[in-house]
This record gives sequence, C-alpha cells and structure tokens, in this order.
Amino acid sequence: MTSRVWKKHAMLLVFVLPALVFYAAFTLAPAFGGMWYSLTDWNGLNPSYGFVGLSNYAEAMGDRYFLKSLWFTVKFVLFMLVLQNLLAILLAVLVESLGRGKVWFRTIFFMPNMLSLIIGGFMWMFIFTRVFPYLAEKTGWMLLDQSWIGDPRYSFFAILALSLWGGVGYLMVIYIAALQGVPKPLKEAAAIDGAGAFHIFRHVTLPMIYPALTIGVFLTLNNSFKVFDSVYALTGGGPGRTTQVIAINIYEEAFSFSNRYGYASAKAMILFGIVLIITIIQLAIMKRREVRA
Amino acid sequence: MSMDKIPNSDSGKKMNRLNGSLAMKPPGSEGSGLIGRRIGIAAVWLFLLIAALFTLFPIYMALLNSVKTQGDMLTNILAWPAVPELGNYADAFQKTRYLRSLGNTFVVVAVGLTGIVWFSSMAGYKLSRTPGKLSGFLFGLFIMSTLIPFHSIMITLVTISKELRLQGSTAGLGLLYIGLGVAMAIFLYHGFVKSVPKELDEAALIDGCGEFRLFFTVILPLLMPITATIAILNTLWMWNDFLLPLLVLTDYKSYTLLLSTNMLFGEYNNDWSAILASLVLAMLPVIILYLALQKYILHGIAEGAIKA
Amino acid sequence: MKRAFCLLLALTMVLTLVSACSSGNKGNEPKPSPSQTAGSGVSEAPKKVELKVFMTFPRFKDQFEQYFDQFKEKQLAEKNIDVTIQLEMPNADQAKQILQSRLSSGDAPDLFTLHANDIPTYYEAGYIADLTGQPFVGKLYEAVAETVKYDGKVAALPMESLSWGYLYNKTLFRDNGITPPQTLDEMKAAAEKLQAAGVKPFLLAFQESWIPQLMMALSLGGTVSASHPDWIEGMNAGEASYADVRSVFDIIDLIMANGSDKPFETGNEAGSADFANGKAAMWVQGPWNAETILKVNPDMEFGVAPLPVSNEASDTMINLATSTSLALSPKSANKEVALDLLNYMLDDKDSSALFEELKFNPIATVHTYEVFPWVNEASEYVSKGKAYLDLKLPNGVTDEAAKQLQSYYVKDATQEDVIAALDKVWRTAVKSK
Repeated sequence: MTSRVWKKHAMLLVFVLPALVFYAAFTLAPAFGGMWYSLTDWNGLNPSYGFVGLSNYAEAMGDRYFLKSLWFTVKFVLFMLVLQNLLAILLAVLVESLGRGKVWFRTIFFMPNMLSLIIGGFMWMFIFTRVFPYLAEKTGWMLLDQSWIGDPRYSFFAILALSLWGGVGYLMVIYIAALQGVPKPLKEAAAIDGAGAFHIFRHVTLPMIYPALTIGVFLTLNNSFKVFDSVYALTGGGPGRTTQVIAINIYEEAFSFSNRYGYASAKAMILFGIVLIITIIQLAIMKRREVRA
Repeated sequence: MSMDKIPNSDSGKKMNRLNGSLAMKPPGSEGSGLIGRRIGIAAVWLFLLIAALFTLFPIYMALLNSVKTQGDMLTNILAWPAVPELGNYADAFQKTRYLRSLGNTFVVVAVGLTGIVWFSSMAGYKLSRTPGKLSGFLFGLFIMSTLIPFHSIMITLVTISKELRLQGSTAGLGLLYIGLGVAMAIFLYHGFVKSVPKELDEAALIDGCGEFRLFFTVILPLLMPITATIAILNTLWMWNDFLLPLLVLTDYKSYTLLLSTNMLFGEYNNDWSAILASLVLAMLPVIILYLALQKYILHGIAEGAIKA
Repeated sequence: MKRAFCLLLALTMVLTLVSACSSGNKGNEPKPSPSQTAGSGVSEAPKKVELKVFMTFPRFKDQFEQYFDQFKEKQLAEKNIDVTIQLEMPNADQAKQILQSRLSSGDAPDLFTLHANDIPTYYEAGYIADLTGQPFVGKLYEAVAETVKYDGKVAALPMESLSWGYLYNKTLFRDNGITPPQTLDEMKAAAEKLQAAGVKPFLLAFQESWIPQLMMALSLGGTVSASHPDWIEGMNAGEASYADVRSVFDIIDLIMANGSDKPFETGNEAGSADFANGKAAMWVQGPWNAETILKVNPDMEFGVAPLPVSNEASDTMINLATSTSLALSPKSANKEVALDLLNYMLDDKDSSALFEELKFNPIATVHTYEVFPWVNEASEYVSKGKAYLDLKLPNGVTDEAAKQLQSYYVKDATQEDVIAALDKVWRTAVKSK
C-alpha cells in the first residue's frame, strides 16, 4: 500500500519535474528574486549591494515620473476597458448578423491581432506622420494635421487607436464564440413575443454573453496595465516622459543608463500588486453578477 | 483561396443556422418591417465596411508605399506608382538580414514550443489524474504565477539568463520561453484531460504498458485538440514578443525578425521606403500562416481565452 | 521486457532534459578564438579573423564600410589575415543602452565608440583598454590627445574634435541683414527680424532626444564657464543647484518660442534636410552634421557661431569638445588585428581622405586636407579667447537633460521640475561613485 502511494507520487514528480525545473528557474526564481532585489540598492552591475529595506518603495511613492506613468496607465486602461469591449461586442453582434461576408469580416478584423504591435506601431507611425499631414493638406481637413506623435494630448489618442486596432479583433472572436452559444429557440421565442432587436439583445443575448464579458474585461485590464509595445513603437514614452506607461518607466529605470535594478524591481512589485488587487476585485464583482443574471 | 472555403465547413454551418436571428427586426407590421430590415442590413454593412477599411488602411498604405521611391511618396502618398520600385525590398531584405532573422525566429519558436508542449502535456496530464495534496500543491504553484506581469520578473530573469549564459543565444531564449509558458499550458491541459475517460488509462495499464508508453502512445494523441490550441497561442506569443528578445539577444546576429526590423527603423529613421518594405517582409510569414490556417487560429484563440 | 523499455524511455527523457539544460549553459562559453585554431603553421591559407565593431554613426555607414574594406585588403596583403568585420550602427538614442548591456554581459565588441566624457566611467569599470604607446598617439595634435587621456593614459582614439556652437544659414542671414548675434537681446532682435520676414529663426528637431540636449550643453557650458566657475565642484559636493544657473533657460526659451513646427516628428536626417533646404535660419547642432546637410544640398552655405547665453558679449563662446572616440575592449580575442584597425583610422595614407569625406575636423598631423570654412570661422572665436572646454558632467545627467528638455518643450515640465530632476540625477550619480 505505502509503496504504491510512494510510487504514485514518484511518478507524479517524474512527469511534473521537467516543467517544474524550467518554471522554477525562469518564473518562480525571478519572481522571488525580484522581491528580494526590491529591498536592495543593487545597480545591476556591481557584485555587491546593500539591503535598504522598504526605502525603494518609499522612493517610488514620491517619484513624480513613476506616479505620472501610473496615472497615464490608469487613464489608458479606462479608455481601453470601455472602448475595446464596446467595439468588440458591436463588431461581434454585427458580424454575426450577416449571412454572406461574415467570414471575410471576421478574418479582416482579427488580422491586426496576428501582427506584433511593434510592426503595427511603425505602420501607424507612418500614417500619423506622413499620410495624415498629406491628407490634411489635400482635403483641408485640418483635424488630421496634428502632431500625433509629438504632442502628448494627441499622442494619447494615437496610442489608443493603435492599441484598439491591434486588440479589438481578439475580443471580437471571444464574443462571437459566446454569441454562437446563445440558443436560437430562445431568441426566436423572444422575437415571436414581439420583442425588438434591441430588446432581444438586451434581455436575451447580453445575459448569455456575460461570462464572455468577464473574460473580455479581465483580458483588457490585464493587458492594458502591462502595455509596452504600442507605446514603445509609437512614442517611446516621449516627448520626454509624457506618454510613459508603467512598463516603460520600469524598463527605463532598469535598463537605461541608471541601471537601478533594485529600485526598478520595487516599481515592478508595485505593478504586480496593483494588477493582483484589481483582478481579484474584478473577478469577485463579475462572478457575483454572473450568478444573479 | 483556402480562406473562403475552410470556414464554410462545419463551424461555418453552425453559424449560418444562427444567421439573421440577430439582425434588426423592428416591431411593427410585416411590410414596414421588411423595409426596415433592409435598411438595417444596409447600415450594418456600411458600418462594417468602414471598420474593415480602418483595419486594413495601415497595412494597405505600408504595402502601397513600399513599392515607391521617396519622391513618388512625396508627390502622392495615396497613388500607385507608375513603375513599382522593388529595390526597396532588396534593400530591406539585406538590411534586416531577412533569412537569418527569420531562421532565428524559427529556432526560438521551435525550441520554446517543443518544450512547452512536451513538458506541460506530461505535467498537466499527471496532475489532473493524481489526486492528493502534493498534486494540488504543485498545480497551485503553477497557477499562482499566471497573474504576475512579465515586467515584474523581467529584471531578475535577465540577470538569471546572464548567469546561466543563455543571454545572446536564440536557443537560450527558447528555453526561457519554456519556463514562462508552461504554467498556462499546464492549466489548459489539466482541464482538457478531465474529458479523456480514465478507463483508457486503466485498460492500458492492465495491458502491461508502463506509464510513459501509455502517455506517449495513448494519451498524447487524444490531447491533440488542446495541443493545437496551445501551439497556436504560444507560437503567436513567441513570434510577436518584443521585450524579452530585446533584453536577451544582445548580438544582432541572433536577432529575431522583429528585432531586426526595429533596428532598421532606428538606423534608417527617415527612409520610409526601406522601412515599409521591411515591415511588409516582417508581416509576410504571419499573414500567410493566418490566411492558410485562419479557421484553426480563430478557434484556438476563442478556446484558449474561454478556458483560461 | 516492457518494463525495461519504459525505464529506458524515462531515462532517455531525463537525459535529454539534463543535456538540453547543460548544453544551454555551455552554449555560450568563450570559444577558442579563430586565431588560435586556424592557420597555425600553414603559410598559404590566410588566417581568418572576425572583428566586431560598434559605432554610433548610422549616417556614415557607407563611408565606414568602404574604409574597412580598404583595411581588409591591407591586412590580407601585408599580414595574410582574412578579416571579416561585423559593423553595427544603431541610432544614437539606443546606442548607449545597447552598448551598456553588451559590456555588462561580457559580450563586448572588439572596438566601440563612446563619448569622450564617458571615458572615466568606462575606464574605471575596466571596459576599455590602455592605448598608450600605440602608433596613432604620436600623430594626434597635443590638445586633442589631452581630451582622451585619463589617469595619464590614452584611453581611446578621438574621432571628432570639435569647436562648435549653433549652425546658421549664411544666405538667409545675408538676405535679412543679420550677423551672428553676440548677446541675448541681439538674438531676440534677430529672431524678430527673421519672423517678420517670414523666415523661421530656429529649426527644432527633437525626435531624437540628444539634439534638444545640445541647447543645454551650450547654454550651461557658456554660463558656467563665463560666470560660475565653481559650479561643477559645488554640484559634486552637493552644495549647488541648477537653480543657481537658472539663466540657462533664457536662450532655450527664446529658441523654443521661435522654432519650427512639429519638432518631435523631425529626426536628425529630416532636420538636416530641412536645414539644408532653408526651412529655418539657425539650428542648434554641431558641425559634425555637415556631411548630412551638404549631402542634401551641396551648395548650402552655413556657418558656426557661438550661442549667446546672456547680455554680456564676452559670455558668448565656442564649445571645444571631443565627442565620439573609438575604444578597444580589453577582452578582445583578436587584439592585434583590432589594434591594427584602430591605428588604421589615422593611417598616414588613407586617413586624410576619410576624415575629409566625413567632414570632420582634422585631429592629427596626417590630416592634410584643406580646412572647412566653418572650422575657420569657429577658430577665429577660439583665437580671440572666446572658447571654453566642454563641461564634464557625471554619468546620466546628459541623458536626463535630454528627456527633461523634451518635456519642457511640451510644457509637461516647468523650469522648477527640470531643475529638481537634474539636481536629483546629479546627486544619485555622485552617490553611486
């Protein structure tokens, strides 16, 4: 008996070990290492470093640029949360309502998602810095003739446009999958009852895609807080640090010239804390509503 | 060509059944309803066409201007050139060391994907099948990390990769991806294995087959659907990942396609023809793959998101 | 039997895993250098050597590639060595970071460029080799050689020795009856005059942050050298502040208020093209850009003038600096060939043509080409004593200033913010020494 249990556990370990080795080396160790370094003044090069307690965290809390990047990121997340999900649901519903052409549209809308946002960012850079000024000149539509990359007021929207362009398709696919799960008889019954399209959507479709909404909101929150590529490609966080998001701020602190690994690790831990708290709150709320719906 | 065929197979049919049920069907008499419905459908088409235009616009502009000289671009950015200038592509091909970069990207993805699929299918299967505290603990250990943002571990990860001398090598980067990717894959396998009947294991074991053979000859083939999903998700992730390669691949000879493109962008800041050509070249493999496999990819994406 | 098979399978799997790991570990161990393995003894086959060269001159890629080709031929002919050169030229804003990560990961290029002001830091860290006694040293002008010495040793080969201020378009100045202003008020008047004539006084190209930074380099350099000689010492001792030299913003404000549009969409190349085409009358940019400008418009006439920083004409001075220098990594596996290449940069026969083509200032006795007009213009100020040596700021301060000036332009940072940020980074730099 005991030998069988032992054997079972041994087998389990043998099966899990390869994954565990890699996971421990490249995910767990860096995570715990980061927590440790966040309490030191390590500069990434020097072999010796000192323990500084929570002073890195205290410094981060008073770091103007870190707080600004935090605020910029929050603003970005809020815009993304609303716009991305709204657009994705809209596209999903409309694409699903089509007969012919459905496949085409789905293929097109998802396409940017296949591309790296670095590539997308450079393409949009071309649009913003070359095509828009040209169009503005030809059409006289001066709205287009802004400093889309150089003026922080506009570059926020440039970054938003790029991120939506690259992200909506993904959520749309998820919402489409959810819509396909809505049983047809339910909708037919509602339609016979004389309910309008909007009513059907509101009272039949929407509750049914609620689980998908949870996923959509979850993914948007998670990804937008970690946004890096689109900002890096478009503005690099500039001019100055005006469009810096948290990820860029951490990157700059750690890998640009100052190399303050310890301090940057503290900022990274703060980012982790924020993501964790928000995810827990969000999951709790959505789960409760889901049950009620 | 395969694009309009594949989706019309079974999943397409399923969608067709639902077709129209969501279209605008305003309340009211039959006659006006029909007209209203027509207008509604027209509006839907119009909206979707505009959205599609918006989506394709940057790609189209990149393609269009990548075959123009700088001069043509300045005269009319929207027009096709009288004579397509393919020299930009030769230029970009050489400046991004295209084949080498492409090869590097393949190595990274191949190493990473092999490891992720191989190791996490084993772990996911066994964790799902073995009850008990140890199993629960290990599973929890893997799941724990899925919330940690990459930026929170990147600094130390780079240090570790330096220590292990993985920095600068494409295969080394692939190994890092294994460590970063197994958690999510284990989670997906863990869930999927539950749908595989346990009786199979027992029957095979009674036949005298050992655990490993059972797994590789009987179980692994049955996991194919979720393996496909995992392969798609991870390939996309590794192929398009920018930050980790940027930090780990220090030598431009080992640069991935994305890094080479970024490098070219930095070096030839003002030379949009070459940059756009390089962007098109960088997109090409992904777009081809997408158009060929789009049904599976879209399915895999939805599957992965919903399960996770 | 079956059991044995399965055991074997398990074993191989563990083995592959272990070997995969360890091969990953060993993959990057220093390989024996080609010079040790190849061609020892056999006299006919040329020895193969590969050099990695890292330079921050993307705009001169063609010229350097060609020059290196000449070097390869020479090596093959004289020493029977077949050299391949991996030349890497990232743009200036990314270069420092890339180089830094290479050096710290032990993956140093054989030869790399750095700013002469960074020599102390790099030398202390053991990233650059001592070049004292190399043949090129004797050819350098004495004054230039001084700028690359640290601790009495020659630490790098200077490439650019500069006397610089801002660039101005001589034609536009002549047409509007302006001569280079010597005080702040004169500059203001000149800008107004140009504006009235419909000419943009200043070109702004801020996309790459090192360019706006030049304004600070000049205004701080002029201000400190003219009226605050103890300021740097005070800063290092933690007793001074950028607030003490707040007047550095006067000229910066003036330039920004009279600058061209959309500066953040204009990089160095686009800026050079705009300046060459007369889109603005002045550009705070060094003569190192001459080649890039003249490539666009070979007939362009531009001059170099000192930037006024106050209303004292005597404060208006030319900045003397050695910027980009070429250094050797002490870890280079092919030191001899690398040194040959380094010395070849000041080759008796070929160097002069290269420096002339790049439109660099002559820095050594081997440079026999006729001096460019803008160099003469700057030299006149120097001979009148209106010049100072570029300030040596601690590491990171220049980079921070670059970011801050971008923010300052878009009004995301006030003068107070800029002062606070620069004070802070200076303190951090001093502390980490």
